This record gives sequence, structure tokens and C-alpha cells, in this order.
Amino acid sequence: MQIILLYLDPGSGSYLMQFIAAAALGVAFFFRTIKMYVLAFFNRLFSFFRKKDKPST
Amino acid sequence: MHQNISAHPSSYRDPSGFIFERDGVIYRQVNLSFKTEFDHFIETGCYNALVKQGLLIPHQEINENLTGSSGYYKTLRPEPIPFISYPYEWSFDMLKDAALLTLDVLKTAMDHGMILKDATPYNVQWYKGKMIFIDTLSFVKYEEKPWIAYRQFCEQFLAPLLLMHYTKTSLYQLQLAWIEGIPLHEASKLLPFRSRFSLHTFLHIHLHSKVSRREAGRTNKATVFSSQKMQNLITSLTLLINKLRAPVQPSNWQHYYAEAETRSTYLDSKKELVKDWIAQLKDISTSADLGANDGVFSRIAAQQGLTVLAADGDPYCVNTMHLDLKRSQEKNVQPLIMDLASPSPATGLNNQERDSFIQRLKPDLILALAVVHHLAIGRNIPLAHIARFFSATRHYLIIEFVPKEDSKVQLLLANKPDIYEHYSIDDFKNIFGTFFIIEKQELIAQSGRTLFLLRKK
Repeated sequence: MQIILLYLDPGSGSYLMQFIAAAALGVAFFFRTIKMYVLAFFNRLFSFFRKKDKPST
Repeated sequence: MHQNISAHPSSYRDPSGFIFERDGVIYRQVNLSFKTEFDHFIETGCYNALVKQGLLIPHQEINENLTGSSGYYKTLRPEPIPFISYPYEWSFDMLKDAALLTLDVLKTAMDHGMILKDATPYNVQWYKGKMIFIDTLSFVKYEEKPWIAYRQFCEQFLAPLLLMHYTKTSLYQLQLAWIEGIPLHEASKLLPFRSRFSLHTFLHIHLHSKVSRREAGRTNKATVFSSQKMQNLITSLTLLINKLRAPVQPSNWQHYYAEAETRSTYLDSKKELVKDWIAQLKDISTSADLGANDGVFSRIAAQQGLTVLAADGDPYCVNTMHLDLKRSQEKNVQPLIMDLASPSPATGLNNQERDSFIQRLKPDLILALAVVHHLAIGRNIPLAHIARFFSATRHYLIIEFVPKEDSKVQLLLANKPDIYEHYSIDDFKNIFGTFFIIEKQELIAQSGRTLFLLRKK
């Protein structure tokens, strides 16, 4: 990438901040994925029992 | 450069190219120094993907060096934008849409091995019912480095959105004070303490501000920033922005038409008159509804085939109008926040970078319905000044005169002395007669209010 094309000053703190944010977000999104997985599992489980409870027509 | 062709005064920051105007048409020149990046942008299909999704303004390539400059590589003619507006004229959800659009553009660019080298709301415009990205030269190859425009995104999109979300939507005006974005340190100080409990706000504003101040002046080490990390950053910003809402706040104007419905004969007659008169006007295509409230009359004008700018000074009303227009997929009404007594000034370098509202306002028809008394009596503006302001129209003005006896005017006069001895229908006709010729004049139902169709002299 030619340096002339990057006319913005990103700010050295903003560069470092992205590494910090990426690390924190990596952890947060890891637990978020587990949470979504668990919720999806129980949703499937409940919908399975709901279907079973319904009298067949 | 050829005679009379120079870069637009706002187009000086980015050395990749510039925009210029010739014979009333806006062009964008791509400079030779940006050849590799621009070719990559086209060849990877990034441009086509963005245009196909309606995220980027389409352009035509013109095989001619119109500026005659030696650094020329290509000339592009983008589809014209009917009315250029600025973030300090947008309501909360318009800015939110622009922020989400920028992140969508960034995601698509990443899919094609590219990244945005800047992230400013000035690269976004309102076009055919939605926000669209207009800067075709913002795309560079992604090289596994941190995002160069991250701070700019946080200062120009995130900070104003968060400040409005946590306080009041009227803080949209801060964007006019800080034209380059609200500095992180200021945003962090202005945000309430509870904003620190949101992980994403804490990271992108509060911690970002602290780290930036501590690291100021140090040089960056060339470290790899993987695309997964970049995706996490984009997801975090998207999640945060999606959650932000304009605070519900009481507005004097939000129930204006609901209340006016109780005077339904008046409103129906006015709608009929406006519709009939617009239908009779020939050779007009653009209109500005000034004091539009929730845009009832803007829609009537749009139904007559006009492109309408619907401006109002109340940010809450404009936001509601924007959301309604989005729901109804109305493409020809552009909402805008504008205080008619103090329209946006020209600003930026040499006061030429961003034009004033008056410089940009060139409609064929102006609608000024139930607004004159607010300017004349509410804001103490003499009728002669009001007439000059509305003479910004190219051809016609449909204007409503509300007499002093009207209950709404009496309400305005309730707590102040009546110093308005020159506010009568005869004064109105005399003074507006300096700029306009009266084509039609009609009383609206039994309201005592008069609607005028005026033609510019």
C-alpha cells in the first residue's frame, strides 16, 4: 500500500486500541457463541416437547 | 487543468482523486497514483457487488481527461445526487442508517480483500429513499493491518449517536461544532457514567479515549491484525449501533397534524388545494417543503411526481418522518433538520467546503404551510426578510397566511406584547409583491387562513 494513499492519521492509540478491543471481543464473542448454542439447544428441546404434547389430529 | 475546471473546494484531503463540476455535471477524477487500488476495486468485483446491493452510487466511466491534469487516470460520472445534505442536518436514525451502511460497505469490501481507508458520514448521502455510499475512491487493499479509519468512525458516527442515545436527539448539532467528529476525550466526558457498563461503548469510546491519550505521539509497530479480529471489530460496532435508539422526548410538534385532524375540514381543504395547484404547475420537478412537520404535504407533492426536500426544525419530527418514509418506501421525499430562522451556515476550509443551506436550496417550488406566523411572530422576523428568504424558489411559492385573529397566533401572543402592527394580509401581499406575482389566493375552509400561489418575478 502506498503511503501517499493513506491520508488519514489513524492515531497510534487507535491502532493499539484495536488489538485490545479484538482481544476483549474475542473472549466476549466466544462466550456469546456458547450462550447462543445453549439457548438454541433448549429452544429445540422445548419445541420438541411442545410438539409431543400436542394431540395428533 | 483546463480553464474553469478545478477540484470542488471540499475535495482536497484525499490524494487518490477529486470531484469537479463541468457544465453543471459532477465528475470524479481518479488519479494515476491510485491506479492499482482502483483497478483492484473494479477487477475483484467489489464495485459490482456494492452497486448490486444498492450500497454504492453507480458511475459511468468517461474516456476523456476533462481536467487536463497530468495525474489523470480515469474520469467517472456518478449518478447525480438531487440535494447534498450533511450529518448536522440528519436526524438520529438517518445518522444511524449511514453508520450501518458504512459498516455494510466495509463488510462487502472485506469479502473482496479490500478495506475502507476512511469512514466519515460525508461519504454518505441520501439517495432515492435511503442512505448510499458515494466515495468510490475510499477502497484500498486489505493488508492485515488495523483499520486506519477506526478512530474516524468512532468520532464521526459512534460518538454523536451515543450522545443522542443517552441524552437528547437535539445533540445532532454537535456535529456542526466538531466538523471532523466529536473528539473521543470530549465524547467520553459528555457521556453518562452508566454508558461504561456497555462493553462495546466502554471499548470504542471510553477505553479508546484513554489509550489514545496515553499513546499519543508514539509510532505504530507493524503488527498483523487478522481478518477475524477485524470481523470481530465490525460485529461489535454493528451490534452496538443496532441497539441504539433515539430517546423518546416530548416535542411541541409531534402531534401537530393529529391535533389538526380535529380541524379536519381545514386540513382536507388545504390538502385538496395544494394538490390541485401543484397539478396545474408546468415544468417543475423539485420542491422544498419548509416547516414540513411529519411530511403530510411533502408526500402530496411527491405524489404529483416532484422530488421533495422535507425540512423541519424539530429533530424528533424529522426522525419520525424518516422512519415513516422508510416504512412506506417513499423514495422522493428527503427529510432534513433545518431551523428556517437559522439555516446551516457554509463551513469548513475557506467556508467553501460545505455549502450553506441557502446555497444548496434551489427548488422549483417552495411550500410554506402554516409557518409564516411562527417566523414573523414566534421569531420576530419582519415579513420583508421572510419574503426574501422564500425567494430562494426558482419559480413558485405556495404559502399560507395565518391572520392575527387565529387561535394559534393568539397562543404565540399570549405571553408577549403585540408589537406586530405590520402583520396583516394586506402587508403580506404588499411585501411579498416585491418578489412575487400573486397567481391564486383562496381562503381555506372556514379557518380564516389564506393560501397563496405566488410566481417569482
